[in-house]
Amino acid sequence: MNVLKVSALTLGVFVLPALIIYICIVFIPIVVSFYTGMLDWNGIGEAKFVGFDNFHNLLFHDKVFWPAVRRTLLYAVASMIEIPFCLMMAVLLNRYVRKGNTLVSIYFTPVILSVVIIGQLWKTIYNPASLGGMLNQALTTFGLDSWTHTWLSEPKIAIYCIFFVSLWQYFGYHLLIQFTGVQNIPSEIYEAAKIDGADGFKADRYITFPLIVPIFKISIVLAFIGSLQSFDMIWIMTGGGPGNATDVLATYMYKTSFNSQQFGYGSAIASFLVILCLVFTVAINTVMNRVDKKFS
Amino acid sequence: MKFQPVKWLVYLLIAVLVVTQLYPLVWLLLYSVKTNDEILSGKFFALPESWKWTNYREAYTGGHYIKYLGNSVLVTGVTMLCVILLSAMVAYAITRFKFRYGPAVMLVFLVGMMIPLQTTLLPLMKIFKFVHVLGTYWALILPYVAFQLPISIFILSGFMRSIPTEMEESAFIDGASVYRIFRSIILPITVPPVMTVCILTFISIWNEYIMAATFTSSESMKTLPFGIYSFVSQYSVNYGDIGAYMVMGAAPVILIYFVLSNRITKGMVAGAVKG
Repeated sequence: MNVLKVSALTLGVFVLPALIIYICIVFIPIVVSFYTGMLDWNGIGEAKFVGFDNFHNLLFHDKVFWPAVRRTLLYAVASMIEIPFCLMMAVLLNRYVRKGNTLVSIYFTPVILSVVIIGQLWKTIYNPASLGGMLNQALTTFGLDSWTHTWLSEPKIAIYCIFFVSLWQYFGYHLLIQFTGVQNIPSEIYEAAKIDGADGFKADRYITFPLIVPIFKISIVLAFIGSLQSFDMIWIMTGGGPGNATDVLATYMYKTSFNSQQFGYGSAIASFLVILCLVFTVAINTVMNRVDKKFS
Repeated sequence: MKFQPVKWLVYLLIAVLVVTQLYPLVWLLLYSVKTNDEILSGKFFALPESWKWTNYREAYTGGHYIKYLGNSVLVTGVTMLCVILLSAMVAYAITRFKFRYGPAVMLVFLVGMMIPLQTTLLPLMKIFKFVHVLGTYWALILPYVAFQLPISIFILSGFMRSIPTEMEESAFIDGASVYRIFRSIILPITVPPVMTVCILTFISIWNEYIMAATFTSSESMKTLPFGIYSFVSQYSVNYGDIGAYMVMGAAPVILIYFVLSNRITKGMVAGAVKG
C-alpha cells in the first residue's frame, strides 16, 4: 500500500543509511573475499594473483576440506533431530500441565546465555574426572568407570559431544516455538473432535499434527540454517581439534585465515562457505514449502 | 482415570528435563564457591563444605569485570538504538513510499540473511584497518547493526503494513511532513514490534563472541563474552575463580530474563516465526 509520493531526497534519507551500512558490511566483504580467494597472499608480503588455484587445491588436494564439509552438513542435520521430540513435549505439556508456560520458560534458560558460557561450562563438564569434570565423576560414582572418556580429546566422539551441547542449548528454543504453535490451535476444534469421538492421541494425529506443520517447518529451517553457519560452539569447545577432528567449514576457514595467515586460501574457503549456505538455504526452503503445500 | 499412568510418566519426563536443562547451571553455581580440593574430589553433587565467596572477590579483582560489563552495555545499547532507528525508517519507506525499488531493497536484505557472518571477518578486518575504524567501538557496532538489520526490517515492515493508512492521510492533509508523520504517528504505534526487535538484538549482541574477539585486541575494549573467554584461558590455577567469573558473566542476562521472561520468550517466538 504505497500511498506517499516523496521526493528523492526524503527517500534517500529513509533508505540509504541502512542500505549503505548493510552493503558495506555484508556484500562488499563477500566480493572482496571472492577476489582475495584468487590470491596467494599472507597479508604482509606481495599478493600474487593465482586465479582458481586456491579453489582447485581446496576441492581436489585438501585432506581437511571434505571432512569439514561433511561435518558441517552433519551438524545441520543433527540439529534437526530434536525437533520432533520438542513437538511431542509441547503437546504433552499443553495437555497435562496447567502452567506449561512457566516450565517452558525454565527449559528456555540456556538459550539466552552466551555460547562462551555454555561452551566453557560443558568443556568443564566433559573434563577428565581428575580435573573436576562432572560427567566422568558421575559415571565413576555410579560404577560405570569403563564408560568414562576424555570426551573432547577423542577424535571419534568429540564432534558428537559438541552436537549434544548444541541440542541441549537449543532444546528450549524449539520447545518454545512448538509450544506456542500448539497453544495457538483453537480449542474449539478439539471440542468438536471430542464430540465426534476423537480425543487424546487420535486428536493429535488428525488435528495437532496437520495444523502444526507450518510452525514445525520454521523450527526445522531455523535449526538447519543456524547450524550450517555454526562456528562459536566448536571454536570455544575444541577450536576444531584434536587435530582437525571437529573442524567444520567455518572453523577451518578461521584457522586458515587468522592462525596460519593464509589469507588467499582462507578466503577461498570463505567463498565456498557462502555458496554452500546460499545453495542449502534455498534448498531447504524449497523442500519445506513443498511439504507445506502437501499438508495444506 | 485410565490416563493416570501416562500422566505420571509425563510428569517424570518433565522433571527429568528440568534437571538436565538446569542442573549444569546449578552445578556451575556450586563449582564457583568450592575449593580446588572439593572440585577435584569427585563428589560432583556435594554441596561445598564452606561457601568460598572469596572466589568471587578474586575473580572480580583479577578480571576487569566492570570494564567488560560497561563495554557490553555501551556496545549493545548503541547497537539497539541504531538498529531500531534505521530499520524503522527502511521499513516505513518500503511499506509506504511510492518507490519502484522497494521490493529490490527488501531482496537485498533477504539475500544478506543467508550469508554467514564469519565469512566477512577477514575482509572486514582489512577494510576497518584501511579506514581506521579498527580499535574503536564502531568496529563492533557497525557489523552488529548490519547483521541485525534484516530481521528487524522484516518484523517492523510486517507490522507497519497492518497499520491503516487513514491516520497518515489525515495528518498529511493537515500539513504534516513525512518526517513528522514518521515521528509522531508511526513510531509511537510501532512500540510493540520495536520491543521484539530490542529483545532479539539484545540477546544476540550481548552474547556475541567471534566478532568481538576478532575486531578488538586491547583489554579496554573487550565485551563480556570475550572477557570471559580471556579470563578462563588465563587463570587455570584456581578452578573456583573461573566458575565465579562465569557466573558473574551470566548474571546480568539471567537477571534480566528473570524479570522479563514472558516478554523475552514472546519476542523470541515472534522473531522466529516472522523471520
